[in-house]
Amino acid sequence: MRLRISFKLAILLALVGALAAGLTGFYAYEASRKLQLNSARTELLTSTQMLARRITLMQGEITRNLQMLTRHPVALATLQQGHPSDADQVATLFDGVMTANPAYLQVRLISADGHGMERVRLDRIGSLAVRLLGDDLQEKGHFPYVADALRLPLGGTWLSRISINHETGTYAGLEQPLLQLAMPVMDAQGAARGVVVINVDLNGLFGLLAADLPGSYQLYLANGAGDVLIHPDATQTFGFDRGRRVLLQSEFPETVSLFTGQAAPVLIDRSEALPGRPPQVAAFIPQSIESPDNDNRLVIGLAQPLSFVMARSDEVGSAIVRIVLGLCALSAALAVLVSRAVSRPINAVTEAARRFEAGEAAGELPVGRQDEIGSLARSFQKMQTRIAQQLLDLKDKQDQLEHLSHHDTLTDLPNRRLFSDRLAQALAYARRNGEEVTVLFLDLDDFKRINDEFGHEAGDLLLQGLARRLQAQMREVDTVARLGGDEFVVLLGTPAHPVHAGQIAEKLMALIGEPVESPMGQLQVGVSVGISQYPRDGETADQIMANADRAMYAAKKVAGSSYRFAADTPPRSAAD
Amino acid sequence: MAARAGNDVLRVLAWPGYAEPEVVAEFERRHGCRVEVSEIDSDATLWQRVRERNGADFDVFAVNTAELQRYLRANLALPLNPTMLPLLSRQEDRFRDLSALPGIARNGQRWAVPFAWAEMGLIHDRRRCPEPPDSIHALWDPRWRGQVLAYNGGTHNFSLAAQALGWPDPFQIADSQWLPAVNKLIALRRNVSGFYTQPEEAVRLFRQRQAAIMFANYGTQQLHLLRAAGVDAGYVIPREGALAWLDCWVMARGARNTALAHAWINHLLDQPASDLLRQRQGLNNTTTTTGGGVSPQGGGRLIWLAPVESEDRRSRLWSRIFSGDNATKVLGT
Repeated sequence: MRLRISFKLAILLALVGALAAGLTGFYAYEASRKLQLNSARTELLTSTQMLARRITLMQGEITRNLQMLTRHPVALATLQQGHPSDADQVATLFDGVMTANPAYLQVRLISADGHGMERVRLDRIGSLAVRLLGDDLQEKGHFPYVADALRLPLGGTWLSRISINHETGTYAGLEQPLLQLAMPVMDAQGAARGVVVINVDLNGLFGLLAADLPGSYQLYLANGAGDVLIHPDATQTFGFDRGRRVLLQSEFPETVSLFTGQAAPVLIDRSEALPGRPPQVAAFIPQSIESPDNDNRLVIGLAQPLSFVMARSDEVGSAIVRIVLGLCALSAALAVLVSRAVSRPINAVTEAARRFEAGEAAGELPVGRQDEIGSLARSFQKMQTRIAQQLLDLKDKQDQLEHLSHHDTLTDLPNRRLFSDRLAQALAYARRNGEEVTVLFLDLDDFKRINDEFGHEAGDLLLQGLARRLQAQMREVDTVARLGGDEFVVLLGTPAHPVHAGQIAEKLMALIGEPVESPMGQLQVGVSVGISQYPRDGETADQIMANADRAMYAAKKVAGSSYRFAADTPPRSAAD
Repeated sequence: MAARAGNDVLRVLAWPGYAEPEVVAEFERRHGCRVEVSEIDSDATLWQRVRERNGADFDVFAVNTAELQRYLRANLALPLNPTMLPLLSRQEDRFRDLSALPGIARNGQRWAVPFAWAEMGLIHDRRRCPEPPDSIHALWDPRWRGQVLAYNGGTHNFSLAAQALGWPDPFQIADSQWLPAVNKLIALRRNVSGFYTQPEEAVRLFRQRQAAIMFANYGTQQLHLLRAAGVDAGYVIPREGALAWLDCWVMARGARNTALAHAWINHLLDQPASDLLRQRQGLNNTTTTTGGGVSPQGGGRLIWLAPVESEDRRSRLWSRIFSGDNATKVLGT
């Protein structure tokens, strides 16, 4: 019972503690997930915007290179006069630009005449820019980078549709994603005499731009119509080149608005896995470019697998789990302590009750406490004290009753009942030890006269006075009892020779013969004593008593106080 | 008929738009069967799917005349019984004359039923070039230099060159003919403003470059697109004739229920299917006279595409021509 209360209490407290810790942990984890997701989205968006700015910067840089090359006098000279030395100088210029820009695959000077004949051409082969000559130079007049760029004003930049390069004779970047930029070379009259074209490796370029982004970021690029150009899954890129368009808005329907002119970024939070697509977060932003071939727009996107984003919050989660487990253990320990602190005083009270029940000292109670348990202990202590007092009173009453049942109410001497017990004990003892028992039967003479002369009160006073006297004068081992009326009996506690018994009878007669002082004057009576002894005068108590009584009557026949032995008294029938 | 309901399944392999839902539903209702339509979007896919299990996966499929020959050589088709195709009578005469259609008749049996077709005519801007070009030579005409658009594809361009050179069979170029053909295409390259691949791209280029004449690889589809874009365009079948592709229904070798397969082909020759083909896909059918808003000028004939001597070689050489190489380099190894 005791175990169960503290056990239940401990379990309850531990559960409450665990529940509180668990709920706190759960909500903390949820909050941290949300924070992680938000921060991942913000980071993605920031990185995407940074990437877009870099594209602008990069485009500006290529444009500046083109301006430098197209405005260089030697370029125009090469187109107009065609001196080999001029072409060599242009080639040196191109070589410098290509060395400085590893993403440039090809730089060319193409003339407007000769069906767009290439005049100077450098291709990247490995890390080197190699100049092509003779039959390797091709006619490019039908390509938009010539046809369209020749129509541009001074300093205008033509930007190609980003596509796969199928121009054979290209040593670098064949069948590779390509971006071409071209600018016209003008003569003094403002007529376009040719173009300078730079081929840029799209993947190399974006590789450079995105080089410092986290490895888990996945780069997406689409043209203004949504055709995927860069994708983590290379098979999804340049679908139009294989006769099967793959659109960004098919994979990310949320981006549709970007292709209809909206400028706001699109944040995508795919918490649920789609068929064939892992859950991810992504940010897409539109980037305006001056290029009708790309629908004047690029859409740049960065994505991160949700698992990666959540890896950080999983760390937090496992830390939270550890904290929660720690808190659970702590709350369990606290629960045990608290339940003990509560159950110990209760147990003390219970123990006190048990001891009290067993009649032992109650032991210490927590009466000093100022709480409910203290007040319980105090109540219990009060109750305990009261019960103890009542028990004591009861015992007194019992003792009184006991005394009353064995003593004469008037004289407080043992009554007939007690006397019979003692006689029986004495006889039993004597029988076993072969000893003797002496009984002296006393009957007051003329007691009736006292009552008649002085009243019953005087009689009572006389009896009381005589009783006190007998009690005081007899040995403790002897029993003086009042059998009723004016009859007394004395049982000697030790064996007595008949002579000694006679002496005692005489002493008794003297004691009784002394007058008793009372408000009514001196009261005086005599006494007749009958003596009987075991085994001489009988075997049983009744016989002994009867013989003592008989002897007393015999003594009574003599005037004045006297005593008689039963042995000296003829049987009643014979005497009478 | 109703007793057969659900028992038979007809497996159809076709191009998008050939087996329209209402056509399928009507067929299922009439014949108490179920039709499973699978679609393909390229010749390569079609070949792969039919050949995969020797034509056992389908009952009927649609293939063009140029491709048909290799299916017949691979024994992937079953001959058709014309008596089970009463609606053949609805077809125009030119589709009923089997001798004029490449490879449809073989060993005295009929193997295919023409269904959809489109020709590759010439488009001209009626303001810049008011006189409809009646010949493909217009593509080479120096008058239009820098105002011509052509298609970026080797197989058709070599056929075009062969036509321009007056050769009888544009699909078979002999060894001795490669040099003049290459020179002809280099001359085309020098005359054009650019080459296109997609119909939409063609529209953009046409407007951007202010083109006057264009070889319409996608036929009237491009005409519609240009007109929708505000170009006052005309369409001509040149006197040398226009290359044209012709898709035919063929019964697969593994057809389970040949009667049902015949019924399907017959059903598709009926008015509703033919009309839907023109309305929804802008493609010509074989049962009504060409028209529907577009009446090509010039009375040229159609030259149904046939297998060429070597697609690989045409593509390889064309890619070099397109890249700007001279003839020596193009024909070099």
